[in-house]
Amino acid sequence: MKKHYIIFAGLVLMGIFYPQMFPGYLSVAITLLLYAGWATAWDILGGWAGQVSLGHASFVGLGAYFVAVGTSHYEIAPWWTVLMVLFAASLVAYLWGRLTFKLKGPYFTLSTIAIAEIFRLIAINEGWLTGGATGVFIMTLPEPFGLDLFSRQVNYYLALAFAAITVLVVMLISRSKFGYQLRAVREDEDSAMASGINPTTVKLKAFMLSGALTALGGGIYAIFLSFIEPHIIFYLLLSVQIALTAIIGGRGTIWGPCIGALLVVGSGEIFRTTFAEANMLIYGLLIMVVVIFMPRGIVGEPARYLIRRVYAKRAQS
Amino acid sequence: MPSALRADGITVKFGGVVAVNDVSLDVEQGKILGLIGPNGAGKTTLFNALTGFVTPQAGRIYLHGKEITRLPPYMRTRVGIGRTFQTERPFEELTLLENVLVAAFLKEPKRKKAERLAMDVLEKVGLADRYDQPALDLNLARRRRLELAKALAVQPSVLFLDEMMAGLNPPALKGMIGFVRQLTDQNLTIVMVEHIMEAIIALSDHVIVMANGSVITEGLPGDVIEDPRVITAYLGED
Ligand SMILES: Nc1ncnc2c1ncn2[C@@H]1O[C@H](COP(=O)(O)OP(=O)(O)OP(=O)(O)O)[C@@H](O)[C@H]1O
Ligand SMILES: [Mg+2]
Repeated sequence: MKKHYIIFAGLVLMGIFYPQMFPGYLSVAITLLLYAGWATAWDILGGWAGQVSLGHASFVGLGAYFVAVGTSHYEIAPWWTVLMVLFAASLVAYLWGRLTFKLKGPYFTLSTIAIAEIFRLIAINEGWLTGGATGVFIMTLPEPFGLDLFSRQVNYYLALAFAAITVLVVMLISRSKFGYQLRAVREDEDSAMASGINPTTVKLKAFMLSGALTALGGGIYAIFLSFIEPHIIFYLLLSVQIALTAIIGGRGTIWGPCIGALLVVGSGEIFRTTFAEANMLIYGLLIMVVVIFMPRGIVGEPARYLIRRVYAKRAQS
Repeated sequence: MPSALRADGITVKFGGVVAVNDVSLDVEQGKILGLIGPNGAGKTTLFNALTGFVTPQAGRIYLHGKEITRLPPYMRTRVGIGRTFQTERPFEELTLLENVLVAAFLKEPKRKKAERLAMDVLEKVGLADRYDQPALDLNLARRRRLELAKALAVQPSVLFLDEMMAGLNPPALKGMIGFVRQLTDQNLTIVMVEHIMEAIIALSDHVIVMANGSVITEGLPGDVIEDPRVITAYLGED
């Protein structure tokens, strides 16, 4: 576990100096950090608790809309709206979970798609609240300590802080009682109950934490884009990308979602420039290869292989 | 001795099938109740009703005098029931230590202490040397012992064991019998389902025989296995 904290400190340090080294590549880094954070947050529910959601765009959307609508319609500073949406997203996740955790496996996943669609329709149709289908512009932002929140540099450090917070939360969880309850519920709910665990409570807590963190990233995303549209931000595609990022990297691992983000965002960027038209095709193929040959993801698969080999050896000797 | 577990008139139906029919039992603290009967007699279903995994259509259940009939399974664990599953259900992706740790956290929320408790329990069941192995690759005898370790790590006052001995080779069987007996020395109350008569005779203070969901007879182990009704139940009517 200590090694994870060392890796973490190293990465954060690199992250802090990145803008000085590659000032021309800030936008792609911001995208990468946001996806790393979202996938890590998604994984608390999807990987650690084993409840695959394809509705997490709803939480990105909640965060983004709270911040954007807050500043442009009500002149509430983003730090207040972010605090509000942490609470709102937890509440939404709680109600959402209460409603759908009776469903298991793929049925739960399908229900998340349906509920996320409701959020998208609300965002499009309730124009008085959300700005409707045309979306919301963020025209002005306060300048805390003289910082320009529109600048790429500041966006970058916000995204870095977001990714770092989610990874840190997962590192803390992974060794805690709650972390083991999550794993137990994922592996076998009956067996978890025999250990005194209430699976519904554990899943609700995971969903609330996962949703709140995802919304935090959504708020930063809104500032980064400074213009948000319901079609993009509440869209199924975003939910799928978040989930795939974590799945490709390795569900239920500390670094899997980050590696996934590096691969998905990185390859997306490279393919877009190199292969132009064919980039979606190659992107799709890449995902298929990983899912078929490494069902536990890029981090999960070798880890598992190593562990099993060690024991095969020990058993022979 | 006070009654540790009492059940009155438990009935469980699955659709038209009456899996458990009006079964009552009473176990004193520190004693072992053996539950036997042919396949499909309803033993596991009775277990599930007592531990909360199925809801009985009728009957009441008391643990140390307090009614637990309506408690969900995880609440029953919290008030003192531990159980194993007939087909073992380890958390396959977790190591042996982590498997037991999940259960140990119930009474010891601090990681260090929970880990020590889990390690102690693994030691007791003889799996300590493999603590960091994934549960997935265990053989049957070790899966059984892991199942037992998980049930013990919640520090129950009443322990339910569903066919812990089936399929064990003679030395492993002997080991398990010795181990279970030793548990009652610590005042643990045990309800066990078992097909292996050797284990039932060696361990039980009282035996209940079920067939087709009903109790056909009960008493001391030595008397019960001599009972002609029991022999017919096992061998069939004709
Ligand atoms: N979930 C279920 N749904 C429907 N029928 C069930 C269910 N569980 C058990 N039964 C039926 O209830 C009866 C009792 O089964 P149970 O598993 O309790 O028997 P058992 O005594 O434990 O048998 P064994 O010695 O084979 O383990 C059987 O007829 C079985 O088919
Ligand atoms: Mg059975």
